[in-house]
Amino acid sequence: MSGTATYLYAITRPIPPKAVAGMRGVGGAEVRVIDHQEIACLVSTVDLSDFGEQALAAHLEDLNWLARTAREHDEVIRAAARITTTMPLRMATVCLDDAAAQARVETVAESAAAVLPELDDRDEWGVKMFAVGSSADAEQPPEEPATGTAYLLQRRRQLERRDTELETAAGAADAAFARLAEVAVASRHHRPQDQRLSGVPHPMVLNAAFLVDRDAEGTFRAVVAELAAGRPPQALVLTGPWPPYSFVPGEQP
Amino acid sequence: MTGVPARQDPSTLADVLERVLDKGLVIAGDIRVNLLDIELLTIKIRLLVASVDKAREMGIDWWEHDPTLSVGERDMVQENKALRSRIAELEAASHRSAQEQT
Repeated sequence: MSGTATYLYAITRPIPPKAVAGMRGVGGAEVRVIDHQEIACLVSTVDLSDFGEQALAAHLEDLNWLARTAREHDEVIRAAARITTTMPLRMATVCLDDAAAQARVETVAESAAAVLPELDDRDEWGVKMFAVGSSADAEQPPEEPATGTAYLLQRRRQLERRDTELETAAGAADAAFARLAEVAVASRHHRPQDQRLSGVPHPMVLNAAFLVDRDAEGTFRAVVAELAAGRPPQALVLTGPWPPYSFVPGEQP
Repeated sequence: MTGVPARQDPSTLADVLERVLDKGLVIAGDIRVNLLDIELLTIKIRLLVASVDKAREMGIDWWEHDPTLSVGERDMVQENKALRSRIAELEAASHRSAQEQT
């Protein structure tokens, strides 16, 4: 398929075109602004040879392409969030041209305008907790067991200890989530990441997102610091500030 | 900004993927896509890891710093075999010593 299409990144409060000058989107294309009354939409032009239905389906199977495009998509949304209040759109939202994109923006304008005030002057922060130093990490038996029965008993005790530790860690994760939620405007649980995705050799026991007032960032960080105190250095990881990915409504009519 | 005793990492690819694939406002575009959600992606990576060399060729290597993965699952199979035969040996030895005591 030849020709081009319009890729949509985010709905934002109005942005002057010169604010996005030099901003690059997927495939290095220039980012542009589509206006509609009190909202704007950041878009760029993409080739249908990459973003047509079949090409896109094929690309999404290519993890390398997926990783690169996800980063490019995220970069634009981050840049927008530094300028004004930003509602990220799901990756790979593509319309046939600017006119079609404009029409889509018009249909969601009313609900977007209602959500934007919820996001003004707020950032998303990510907090992940890991069961560091649990026996789930290192499964080396402390000493060579004398007999097979001793080995099996030792192994069973190891597994029981690991279950208890993970239960304790889950309790600590719930407590941490509750404590952080107190100083956030909104909070969400994400699925704990598989170790293959997280790249961390410890079980993840909490993966959460918090929407925090910029004025309350210091307080939020202080609570994170309080929770990190007395834990191993890798047990608590803070990421952010993020654009409010986790705090926009999912499906729109 | 106050001090940050907790570790603050730059966002990992996993953090980005989980947000851009599973979160964000969904508006219907003209191009229909089925995004793989993060769970399916994880399963896919699990399958892919079975052919680590192929993945590396494609330039996907973000698990490389994960010691449980970097050696590949083929080594796990070897290790499992070794452990199984070790258990069998130990059990045979334990069985013999029990018989000797009676």
